[in-house]
Amino acid sequence: MFEIDYGSDGEVLCSGRLDAAQCAKAQSFMDEIADARTLDFSRLEYISSAGLGILLKTQKRLAESGAALKIINVNNHIHDVFRYSGFDAIFDIQAKRE
Amino acid sequence: MQRYFARNYDSLSAIYEFAEEILAQHDITEGVRFPVHLAMEELFTNMVKYNRDCDADIAVDVEVDDNRVRVVLTEFDVDEFDVSRPREVDTEASLQDRTPGGLGLYLLQNIVDKLEYEYEDRRSRVIFTKESGKQHV
Repeated sequence: MFEIDYGSDGEVLCSGRLDAAQCAKAQSFMDEIADARTLDFSRLEYISSAGLGILLKTQKRLAESGAALKIINVNNHIHDVFRYSGFDAIFDIQAKRE
Repeated sequence: MQRYFARNYDSLSAIYEFAEEILAQHDITEGVRFPVHLAMEELFTNMVKYNRDCDADIAVDVEVDDNRVRVVLTEFDVDEFDVSRPREVDTEASLQDRTPGGLGLYLLQNIVDKLEYEYEDRRSRVIFTKESGKQHV
């Protein structure tokens, strides 16, 4: 199960497991983002390379207009995936306090 | 324990539940379960993505002994594709130079402790192990 929606302050709340089966849902939502945005991963448990691809595609699109995604409350395991992928250098990432 | 899964992405949640049940029975920590699930997904989706002409189910076997998790994915009637061959990804490339895709097998090779590939009679087997972190006393 994966859910994605806007929070009360305009941040994007992600929860559950972002695997390859959920990418269409995530991609559809991310395609509508047109400006700088914070993604709150406090309830996101898991992400695979399929999810990373969506984040990268969105970040590259936003960069064309000088905007960027910021990702907050990233758990240790997801943070490891970002680090192995080198995504910690192309995203502003804030770890979750655990 | 072995189970067969239909060759499509919708099988991922069932694969997760299948493995999670076994890992939980053995008190495998989240720090090991996460990379095991990730490795299983990267392998399974790779099989689905690159063997679209094949409709045979994929066999997934998960075993746990005292200090390691061993997973075997087997697919039938497919061409050879060695997922254990080293993949290079420039993880230091700038955002402009990064392209979506290609990360799956790279991640797989970096998160498991051992990765083996066998191919015989059009049968592909991928075996990976992940240390559970438990120590013998």
